[in-house]
Amino acid sequence: MSENSTPSGVRRREFLKVLGAGGVATAAIGCSSDRVEKLIPYLNHPDETVPMVSNYYASTCRECSAGCGVLLETRDGRTFKLEGNPDHPLNRGALCARGQAAVQGLYNPDRYRSPMVRNRSGQLVAATWDQALKLMEQKLGEVQKGGRAGSTLFLNRHESGSFPAFLDEWLAANGMPAHLSVDPLADNAVIAANRQSYGVSWPWLAFSAARLIVSIGADFLDTWGANVPQQLEFADARARLADAPRFVYVGPRRSLTGCNADQWIACRPGSELAIANALLGKGSVNDAATASDVPVATLQALKTELTGARPALVLSGVAGSDAMELALAVNELNRQLGAVGTTVQPDRAITSFDGIATDADVIAAVEAMRAGQVPLLMIRGVNPVFTSPKAAAVVDALKKVPFKVSFSSYPDETSELCDLILPDHHAIESWGDAQPMANVIAVQQPGMAPVYDTRQTADVLITLAKANAGIAAKFAAPNYMRWLIDRYPGGTSAFTLALEKGVGTGAVAASTAPRRATAIPKTAAPIAQTAGDLFLVVYPSCSLGDGSGANKPWLQEFPDPVTKICWQSWVEINQQTAVKLGVDTGDILRVETAQGAVEAPAYVFMGIQKDTVAMAFGLGHTAYGRYAAGVGVNPGDVLPVGFDAKSGSFAWTATRAKVTKTGAYTPIVTTEGSARQHGRGIAQALTVRELADLAAGRVTEHAEAMPGMPNTEYLPGLRSPMAADAQGVVSSNIKHKEQGMYSPDHWSGMAKRRWAMTVDLARCTGCQACVTACYAENNIPTVAAPYQESHTAFLHGVAGGNILKGREMNWIRLERYWEGGEDGGDFEARFVPMLCQHCGNAPCEPVCPVYATYHSPDGLNVQVYNRCVGTRYCSNNCPYKVRYFNWFGYGEPARPQYAWPERLSWQLNPDVTVRGKGVMEKCSFCVQRIREAEHRAKAEGRELRPDEFTTSCAQACPSRAITFGDAADNDWTVAKLALDKRGYHVFQEQLNTFPAVVYLKKVNHPAPAAPAGV
Amino acid sequence: MTKRRKRAVVPGLAALAVVAVVLSAYTGATQQPDTVIKDRGSWGYSAASSPQGRSPVQPIAFPHPTHVQTLGMNCLYCHFSANKSPDPGMPAVGTCMGCHLVIGPNRPAMNGRPARKSEGIATLQKYWAQKKPVPWVRIHHVPDYVNFAHMPHINAGVTCQTCHGQVQQMNRVYQYASLNMGWCINCHVGNVNPKWKARYDCSVCHY
Repeated sequence: MSENSTPSGVRRREFLKVLGAGGVATAAIGCSSDRVEKLIPYLNHPDETVPMVSNYYASTCRECSAGCGVLLETRDGRTFKLEGNPDHPLNRGALCARGQAAVQGLYNPDRYRSPMVRNRSGQLVAATWDQALKLMEQKLGEVQKGGRAGSTLFLNRHESGSFPAFLDEWLAANGMPAHLSVDPLADNAVIAANRQSYGVSWPWLAFSAARLIVSIGADFLDTWGANVPQQLEFADARARLADAPRFVYVGPRRSLTGCNADQWIACRPGSELAIANALLGKGSVNDAATASDVPVATLQALKTELTGARPALVLSGVAGSDAMELALAVNELNRQLGAVGTTVQPDRAITSFDGIATDADVIAAVEAMRAGQVPLLMIRGVNPVFTSPKAAAVVDALKKVPFKVSFSSYPDETSELCDLILPDHHAIESWGDAQPMANVIAVQQPGMAPVYDTRQTADVLITLAKANAGIAAKFAAPNYMRWLIDRYPGGTSAFTLALEKGVGTGAVAASTAPRRATAIPKTAAPIAQTAGDLFLVVYPSCSLGDGSGANKPWLQEFPDPVTKICWQSWVEINQQTAVKLGVDTGDILRVETAQGAVEAPAYVFMGIQKDTVAMAFGLGHTAYGRYAAGVGVNPGDVLPVGFDAKSGSFAWTATRAKVTKTGAYTPIVTTEGSARQHGRGIAQALTVRELADLAAGRVTEHAEAMPGMPNTEYLPGLRSPMAADAQGVVSSNIKHKEQGMYSPDHWSGMAKRRWAMTVDLARCTGCQACVTACYAENNIPTVAAPYQESHTAFLHGVAGGNILKGREMNWIRLERYWEGGEDGGDFEARFVPMLCQHCGNAPCEPVCPVYATYHSPDGLNVQVYNRCVGTRYCSNNCPYKVRYFNWFGYGEPARPQYAWPERLSWQLNPDVTVRGKGVMEKCSFCVQRIREAEHRAKAEGRELRPDEFTTSCAQACPSRAITFGDAADNDWTVAKLALDKRGYHVFQEQLNTFPAVVYLKKVNHPAPAAPAGV
Repeated sequence: MTKRRKRAVVPGLAALAVVAVVLSAYTGATQQPDTVIKDRGSWGYSAASSPQGRSPVQPIAFPHPTHVQTLGMNCLYCHFSANKSPDPGMPAVGTCMGCHLVIGPNRPAMNGRPARKSEGIATLQKYWAQKKPVPWVRIHHVPDYVNFAHMPHINAGVTCQTCHGQVQQMNRVYQYASLNMGWCINCHVGNVNPKWKARYDCSVCHY
């Protein structure tokens, strides 16, 4: 067929010509006039800043009570990333996922943007600070005139440091009683027991000194205590490999901490005290076995092992009706096992939890409100309407308070009921300090000017005091920063010095205000005596904490480390029980108690005791912004109000529940493919015995060499075969090879480097801090908020919709595999961080029709966004499934999928491109950090120094499991670790991909009597 | 039959293109007229899509020649971070006022020029008095997916003029080079100055 007779009428070439001409004309004019960009300079250039160069301000994280040190990475007036402060004694440079996500609280689109006042029709409306402060002054005056100041209440989110003392001073000056320092996550029972046993609230737990670790429900890697220092210590202990302590976890549910244990002893909730007493010799093993449904032999073996292991470390963290008694029993056990002073170090105590009010105090305050005794309630940073069980009826009690003032930054369930909102600065905008340990003061300084029209509560209180002639003299400091400096040991110069490092020495003023001793309102009944079929365990979510993380999309999209479920509530149920009830994963279960009922899909799980169901706390908000409201259910709705009689700690695990199948079904929002490895060898492990054989050379490591491939000249498996091929190592005919930059003699010297990573699975705990660090560094959009339309009819407005469609975007993910346990017995959990392996022989590269992905001579598998046309061939061909596709324009504000509604976009890293719609993306080994380090080295006229920089995931890792660097240079740590005998590549043997990521096998410590293998 | 249909379609497309041109011209018409300098430099790779030569009207007609040639100021005095940051830095209004607090708009007769009133200095002082930054119009722009850093270029000895042209002679700055990728690569491979040879794989700039 000739061109002239083309039936379509227009020849293709002609069509393109016309289109092209039009396009050029449009573009030429468009470029000269369209979208005039402005370059707005500073009015006065701030000292110490250089545009596009980051400043790091040392400060303190306030996402939980521990108070880790952080560095606020700030550029051009915006703080966009938090990193751990290496000089801080608690976290030593590491930071957990919740700490990383603090920036999403700072820029949260649902923050209060100004003070709010309730108007006559009952609506909260924006007001000016003058109006709001005037109203506050008036109400304070009324209360004082009426002589009722002594009955007011101030609930403050617990923080260590000077603020509690400042607040009590202010309250005392106003004739008000001391405040309540509230932390719903604090283990009041353990704190009380520690005070009684050691005189400190939280002794340092030296895991590495232990020969055996036994945790009775203490989730020290999740939310129990100061999780980052605990994780650092635990990982250091496990990194001792053959000498590492064995870890036994006793509890009804296998939490993230439990998944890191070598052995899990599944006991019934409420039987932990009996087990502790049996171990202590105070009770019989048989009785404990009966109460806990654990075989006698197992408990006996544990008892024998514990007696022989000195020093051991025994921990308890059970929120039941006998919590303090258990904690005391465990402390006694530690004393007998020689733990005090070795593994439990009271002289190195963490003081962050000093001064926390008990849960019973909070509920007693709620009861005082209900009785109409409270004329004025002030509340800052806590959300008792959400964190207290529904049965406590906090909403009704609040209604009895004539005037309620909230200092909350966010419209949460409690602040929405208040009459006046005086929004507080975020911690990143505030001055403060913390006392994490004795003689250590950690300072808190703002990273940037306030995002919205908010004011720091301490400054507001000073302003209010100045307005009251009677007390103005006591608050002469112009602001809280000055107040802090005036009291800082060593004065201004010492304070300035401390700001540099983030830590100083000395002690801050502690509050001396007398505490009211409140009677415990209601003692919890032993769980075994409650009605219902199955025990209900409610535990705080390790990402959302007490629910305060729920308004941060990173934490919502953060799959639960154990179940891998996100954007959803679930009910964990044992497989045997599930079979009995005819339940499968996804079937909606109704969990009913005398207090109410909640419905959530079942997650059939080996890691839960067969008489038990478990639910995570933190979801089910009715307010708290677009990311939290309406997502999941709140298990607090079914909990009875009851406390441990001795410590006043709330009994989270206090009731049995009736569990029924509703017949409805919902798909589980999970990022997991299969929970089993199916023989693929993705997560490999050794037993201690096998490790000894390996070390002694009795077995050889598996061969990495493939016939015809280079394996010796550089580092085994780390040499890129592509580069080797270009250099003629593989093919003998080098004359016809265009070596280019792949030649080691090339002037650019690129091929001399091989960027690589090692991941030590013996250290990795699966906490996923790396995942959030990656989101923060690489501008990864969250895709599954309820408002992010997935264009699927039945998923309209459903949280997790895009994840159900397989559109998750996490450059690094934690894969969690189960080993064994098919017979209902004990099983093992293995965690593998899975990211782009930067294969030397990458399957993704040859299939790209537009060369959008290629191998750089320094070993990176590069994705070039502006070349990518979105065929997704690369993703299809990637055996690791680490490439993610932009199904929507997540970076386009006009689209419903926009991932950074105002002002979350302020968090975006200016060094990294925001990817457009239809573009593939994946881990870049933080190439922006490589380039930055190279530029810096060049500017200083030197070569890169070994270990001078690292990737975001490695920087954050609280287990120090990830090491990044140049594997071709033996001075880098990664080059040494890559040669470790435990090293292996995922899929190398099957697929010959030559990955740049070397995993070091996990080391398991089987029970002394147990056969090797599990 | 075939021919008639062809005629019907082609003018349709042409009309579309015309509409597009008119529309984009119309959106531009609201702006002040910008000049396009025809001199495109001696070695500029260019393409029709490049805004090379664009010389927008600035809020202050800043005379680079006066500052650089007459007064002998170094580029880095105002663009102070070009050698230490990816961003060259725009001078803060305070930096300008460092001199212009003293050097006011009424310029005396000097160097053979008669006494005059400087509009530019008057405007600058107005911005300063109002505590407002000067809204300079951006001329040089690379897309978001290009990570261009000034620091390594300056430190490698590439002069400002290499890419920005003889700014010291420009009474109104225009885009001297095309800033297209071919233009970048031409220098990176050493065609401009063998000493300036640099890596040229994608991930040097695109990430």
